[in-house]
Amino acid sequence: MSDQVSAPPQMVNVQINGVWHEFPKGTRVIEACEKAGSYVPRYCYHKKLSSPGNCRMCLIEMGLPKMGPDRKPELGPDGKPLINWMPRPQISCAQDVSEGMGVRTDSPLAVECRKGVMEFLLINHPLDCPICDQAGECRLQEFSVEYGSAESRFLENKVKKPKNIELGPRVTLDDERCILCSRCIRFCQEVAQDDVLGFVDRGSHSVLTAHPGKRLENNYSLNTVDICPVGALTSSDFRFQMRVWFLKETKSFCTSCATGCNTIIGTREDVIYRQTPRENDAVNSCWMCDYGRLNFGYLQSEKRLLQPEILSGDKLIPAEWSVAITHAAVQLKHFSGWEIAILASGRMTNEELWLTSQLAKTLGVESIDIVPRHGPADNILLSADRNPNTNGARLLGVTSQPGARLPEIVQGVASGRIKALVALGENPIEIGLTVAQITALPAFIAMNILANDSTPAATALLPSFGFAEKRGSMINGKGRLQRLNRAVRGPGQARDDWEILRDLIQACSGRNGIYSIEDVFRQMSESVPQFAGLSLSKIGDLGVQILENAGSPA
Amino acid sequence: MDPTNTRISAELERKMDEAISHYPADRKRSASMPLLHLWQEEFGFISDAGVQWIAAKLELQPINILELVTFYPMFRQASAGKTHIRVCRTLSCAMAGSYQVMEKASAAAGIVRKHDDKGVHTPISLSKDGKYSIEFVECLASCGTAPVCMVQDELIENVQPAAASALLTNNQSPITKNRLPHPLEHRLIFQNIGRKDWTTDIDCYLRGGGYEQLKKAVKMSRTEIVNEVKTSGLRGRGGAGFPCGVKWSFIKADEKKPVYLICNADESEPGTFKDRYILHEDPHQLLEGILISCFALNAKTAYIYIRGEFPEGAQILERAIEEARAKNFLGRDMLGTGFDVEVYIHRGAGAYICGEETGLIESLEGKRAYPRIKPPYFPAVLGLYMCPTIVNNVETLCHVKHIIEMGGGKYAQLGRPNNTGTRIVCVSGDVQRPGYFEIEVGAVTMGQLIYDMAGGPRHGRTIKAVIPGGSSAKVLRGDERFKLKLKQSDGSMAEQEVSLFEIPMDFDSLAAAGSMAGSGGVIVLDDSRDMVWTLNNINEFYAHESCGQCTPCREGSLWMQKITDRMLLGGGVVQDPDTLKTVADNIAGRTICAFGEACAWPTQSFVEKFREEFTARSQKPIPPPMPPEYTSGELIDHAKIETMPLARNPGREETATAGTI
Repeated sequence: MSDQVSAPPQMVNVQINGVWHEFPKGTRVIEACEKAGSYVPRYCYHKKLSSPGNCRMCLIEMGLPKMGPDRKPELGPDGKPLINWMPRPQISCAQDVSEGMGVRTDSPLAVECRKGVMEFLLINHPLDCPICDQAGECRLQEFSVEYGSAESRFLENKVKKPKNIELGPRVTLDDERCILCSRCIRFCQEVAQDDVLGFVDRGSHSVLTAHPGKRLENNYSLNTVDICPVGALTSSDFRFQMRVWFLKETKSFCTSCATGCNTIIGTREDVIYRQTPRENDAVNSCWMCDYGRLNFGYLQSEKRLLQPEILSGDKLIPAEWSVAITHAAVQLKHFSGWEIAILASGRMTNEELWLTSQLAKTLGVESIDIVPRHGPADNILLSADRNPNTNGARLLGVTSQPGARLPEIVQGVASGRIKALVALGENPIEIGLTVAQITALPAFIAMNILANDSTPAATALLPSFGFAEKRGSMINGKGRLQRLNRAVRGPGQARDDWEILRDLIQACSGRNGIYSIEDVFRQMSESVPQFAGLSLSKIGDLGVQILENAGSPA
Repeated sequence: MDPTNTRISAELERKMDEAISHYPADRKRSASMPLLHLWQEEFGFISDAGVQWIAAKLELQPINILELVTFYPMFRQASAGKTHIRVCRTLSCAMAGSYQVMEKASAAAGIVRKHDDKGVHTPISLSKDGKYSIEFVECLASCGTAPVCMVQDELIENVQPAAASALLTNNQSPITKNRLPHPLEHRLIFQNIGRKDWTTDIDCYLRGGGYEQLKKAVKMSRTEIVNEVKTSGLRGRGGAGFPCGVKWSFIKADEKKPVYLICNADESEPGTFKDRYILHEDPHQLLEGILISCFALNAKTAYIYIRGEFPEGAQILERAIEEARAKNFLGRDMLGTGFDVEVYIHRGAGAYICGEETGLIESLEGKRAYPRIKPPYFPAVLGLYMCPTIVNNVETLCHVKHIIEMGGGKYAQLGRPNNTGTRIVCVSGDVQRPGYFEIEVGAVTMGQLIYDMAGGPRHGRTIKAVIPGGSSAKVLRGDERFKLKLKQSDGSMAEQEVSLFEIPMDFDSLAAAGSMAGSGGVIVLDDSRDMVWTLNNINEFYAHESCGQCTPCREGSLWMQKITDRMLLGGGVVQDPDTLKTVADNIAGRTICAFGEACAWPTQSFVEKFREEFTARSQKPIPPPMPPEYTSGELIDHAKIETMPLARNPGREETATAGTI
């Protein structure tokens, strides 16, 4: 069996626009054409979904080898098979390549077919592109450039259909824009496993809808918006907020659970407008869940910490960063390692966790752990582990069993053994401490993005960055090392977490030598074999598998 | 709404469970349409509670059921009147006055017809007192007795517009028995059709030698039967004319998956009304043909997909199946052969596309009748439930019985080479004696058929055009000349120029003349007919029946209808003939199923062959640059801007749900 698995795929020869190419058996014709540099326009075809062949945009000319009387292909002067071209155009989305197949994607017939389909798709489609939310990323617009006509021959009234329909809490539908490609229906059936969408009525009057008693509200509903080739399905959150051509796109990944779905963050002038999934077959295929997708608004929250503060007398006052860091270091140096606890976070990057472990070493701290986060998993993408980097925290020694040391920390604070608490991106109240207990601590160093109930009790408050504001790496639940890229600048005086930690280590130890996040990664890769030979840039857009058989902690 | 709150009678639930048992246990979805029929029979229409109840019963999502209710026009979402009248509006009936019938009947019932329908289906109009409701429907497959209506479940033939009010009292004549065979006929399948002494019960059938061929067939090997059918040269009588034996031989002898046989009794090609008579008058002949075929194909289950507009036919077949079961012609261990075979009736609900075999299969699986792409879904490989499936027309399956009786070789001597056997030709439209005629294929010319058999045109009229194979076949002009290869008196073949009326009625000759024998529905048009009007009627049929799955047909069929609508109303512009033709060209050959050709061929041929009439109706110069929807309503009101006349009452286009962009 193993021999079969490792055997190279059988290759077949296919002629595309007169040139012979080799493709592995099982390649779809439409994919083969794309690989050969002849992209075939399509609406209904999506490589991750079944092929209904309904849009007819991918019609091409196709032929099979001409068979001689001996039932063997007749060969031409070039030694290649002669091709028997079929008189009728064929769709390229539903057939696999076969030996000796011929394809013409740019013949007069193929071009005429596409022009015909484009005209049909547009006769009943509103031509109000300037005010359509899909403008700029609309496949109708895109293929109109090549196959559209400047003038319409259609003199009749267009079919009127429902508009502005709330298909669910997050998706809005415009049936007049819908070209009935059924991608969204198939997505709900085949990926989201929630068969809620369908067509009602018939012919040109067909409309996409959900039954009023069961709407599109599954946790993957917004993927239908991504795959909708036109402006029919729009994200209720994003629609009409920003013209897409103004969006700067940054490749990143989602930090709302341990899956780490690859994303594109769309921003303009340091404001995030949307997050969409980015294809990565090792992680998330082409999809992401709505929960993760929409989980970025907190970065623009009013609770955002914007200014370092230190406790002076009985109240927190704004301070320069250098003052705040020194203040924190002085407080920490005052205590022995066993009097200090560090509450780190599974949301921190590897670089931050590495520095955290260095800080712990510098101070001799042993009471250190991350706060576990769990929720129901869905067997699609959403992981039960809602921390994006539990694996990183384990690998870098910040925790061995997430949450195992938390009772010890809680007890230590309660008993008065622990006198200084460093909370990095976590709220100690969530692990069972009370505001009174925290307030009673001689030192409570809080580094965080947002204010919470424990913030007023801080003796030093260090505002930091969110996932879209920084670079760094994390290891997802399956052991894949992935990279965050900076999509927006952090607000106010907030600083990159790794810099805060580095400065704190420097202030505590007096040592120096780290100037960039690449330096942090290099140090880390010298000590942790799993990172050996890697760097932030080598991680690439699709990540690197560094842990084998890493199970997501339950 | 909680579907569990809906209470239905134990009797209805029993019927539903019975219907569900007709399908494999893991294919309950197939019972969607039977359950919808049962629900509508009980409650008059399908309420949302019904949708949810049926979905829950079949472990489906409510959207799965809603998709069906809105696809099949026979399912209603609102109540009809106590007496519901369906008036056929398709070509032969329209030519015979069905629009006047509609007007007169509506007036008599006190119904003001609505024109503000929003969707695809012609709405039901209800009288104020709720006693009557009326709707236009597409072809009822009785074009030979046009115009026809259905009052409740009963077909009323030859409805004279002047006497349309009688529809309300439902005291018209029941189905008329046809006259004796014409001397030019060769009756095989229709031997017993129209006989006054012939009934549908099994005893009558057995007295005439019924089921003897089944008994003969089960003594033959499967391969022998398939070979007889191959030798016979039988070609499918549904429309495409595919050789039946070749189709059968796609089923592997050692097939591991279950094999299904489906009888396509969804007769609905306008101009065709042959299967209706077999189903209603000689059900056992069909059943015998099906059972022989099941045995030959090792198909243990056969479904008869009968169109919804044949409720009586469905009942007749149900009874025939029970009678045949009682005599062990089907059921367990059929005739002691050890072969178990079941035949079930599955009713359609008013969708022409279910005549397309893969659309039919989807419909039988309880889905919208969206035809499948081929490749990969060739029914003989991946058919019903992704199992090998043979779909044959009613008439084709009847022929199988006669092939067993005569032997394939003898059968092949009937007709002409490659066009063997007999076939039933239906003549309707402008002839004196419309009706069905069973002829040896090719033994009769178009002229003999129309003039001798169907009585020729009405007095003082000449024949302008003939649609030879159902409304999707390309029209032929009465004065056209064709070059065909024909058999000469000395037996040799030679090319010969012939008139329309000299064309032999066979598959190959009609194909050579640029049209097709199709389903055998010949529609005759005389010189009183306006060809734009005729095409418009056909276009309306196809626009209504397009399933809407693939782009060219969905958009193109309605576009063509809108153009001919506008031309009829005096809004034709000079580009219209060319636009019509290119729209049709952009549909044909580019769709998932043959409906693309079916809706494009009429337009292509009418415009090409009657160019002068289309030109005459498209005299306006270039239209105003903007269509009316882009022109401010106020200016139109003040007639300051000339706009195109609207295609029809624009009600269905006018309003949709209020909304912004």
